[in-house]
Amino acid sequence: MELLVFLTLLTLGYFVGLHLERRHFEDIKRREHKTLFVPIANFGAKQPLPTAQTAQLFMGSVVVSTDYFKSFTASLRNLVGGRIVVYESLLDRGRREALLRMKEQAIAAGATQIVNVRLETSNIGSQTANNGMVAIEVIAYGTGIR
Amino acid sequence: MKYTPKEIPEEINVTPVHPLVNFAHLLATVAIATVAIYAGLGFVAVGLVSHLSPETEQKIGQVLLPAAAPPPLILEDDRTQYLEQLLISLQPSTLQFRPPLTIHLVDEPAVNAAILPGGHVLIMTGLLEAVESENELAFVLAHELGHFEARDPLRAMGRSLVFLALASALGLGSSSSNGSSALITLTGNLNELHYSRKQESAADQYALSLIVQKYQHGGHSLDFFKRLQEQETALGFPVHQPELLSTHPLTQNRIDNLTQLARQQGWSLEGEATPLPEGLACPNFEECDF
Repeated sequence: MELLVFLTLLTLGYFVGLHLERRHFEDIKRREHKTLFVPIANFGAKQPLPTAQTAQLFMGSVVVSTDYFKSFTASLRNLVGGRIVVYESLLDRGRREALLRMKEQAIAAGATQIVNVRLETSNIGSQTANNGMVAIEVIAYGTGIR
Repeated sequence: MKYTPKEIPEEINVTPVHPLVNFAHLLATVAIATVAIYAGLGFVAVGLVSHLSPETEQKIGQVLLPAAAPPPLILEDDRTQYLEQLLISLQPSTLQFRPPLTIHLVDEPAVNAAILPGGHVLIMTGLLEAVESENELAFVLAHELGHFEARDPLRAMGRSLVFLALASALGLGSSSSNGSSALITLTGNLNELHYSRKQESAADQYALSLIVQKYQHGGHSLDFFKRLQEQETALGFPVHQPELLSTHPLTQNRIDNLTQLARQQGWSLEGEATPLPEGLACPNFEECDF
């Protein structure tokens, strides 16, 4: 019985998770293509900043969570070590989505360029990750200039 | 500097591996490692167990007995003496460096018998009601003797102890909700069953040889299994119940294997049945409703 519940959760996690991930990636690619015309650039402390009429801070944040399949695969990986491939795509989605949300806001506000973008993450959920959910927040922020 | 937009390349940060391939790989690695560790532990446990002194074995048995035989233990009963005599008459002389055997009657309707480390043989009263001749009862006792001879209860205990210790060291044993611990437990269990079936077959063969020594034939000793088999069929047990998932070999396979063994060894499976003493199903052989 316990095994049956476990297998159901695993299958559900795999198929639903995979479907949602594919849809999300398609959405991300489409939006990235659409917002490609606005450059993102970072400047060091001793580099001259581009001159601008207005500058404004924009921030995009997203919270992504694993599915049962990903968590289980990762827990197996925990035993032997190595790359947690299933989480790579999850984090990739998080970063790109956060960047896109920031960029879309900046474009809506009329920015022609976004400078000095930073990415930050924070864990949501229990640290022990045994029963609690495993979720991560990705925040992207940068200065939109016009 | 002019900005020319370029398409963002894919799959730099995501390894292009199908999640299922990755999953299968991991699953196989962990499963193989578990089996390997388990087999290794088996060797260690067997090595330790065969060097155990009778005194230590007896001590282990004393610790385990209260846990394994719950309250409905019948302490004072004449049937115990009869069973002990029957057991001793079966016992070959090679067993003298082991702790003495003790019979414990358990008031339980289940048709079953068991052996614990330290030579404690548990007989459920349900078994005494179910047997129809002494040969059948002797076969069951000889089967438990077979486990005793091979130190199976000790071996099973040793292996699971080392395994438990290892699992808890990895932090897997305590949390039952953890998926990977479930996997390891399952692999471990399937392994245990395989060991168990092998031990049961060996005990069966040993039992038949003792029976032939005592009665000069193996007749009627397998009737018990045959009735069990008929009951299983009548109750609608699936004929091809997966043997992989059970602790004992299938009843039909047990009968077939023993018949084959008897043919190879030239043992006769025909002969007179020795009757059971009157009132074996009742306390102290007194009259009762059975």
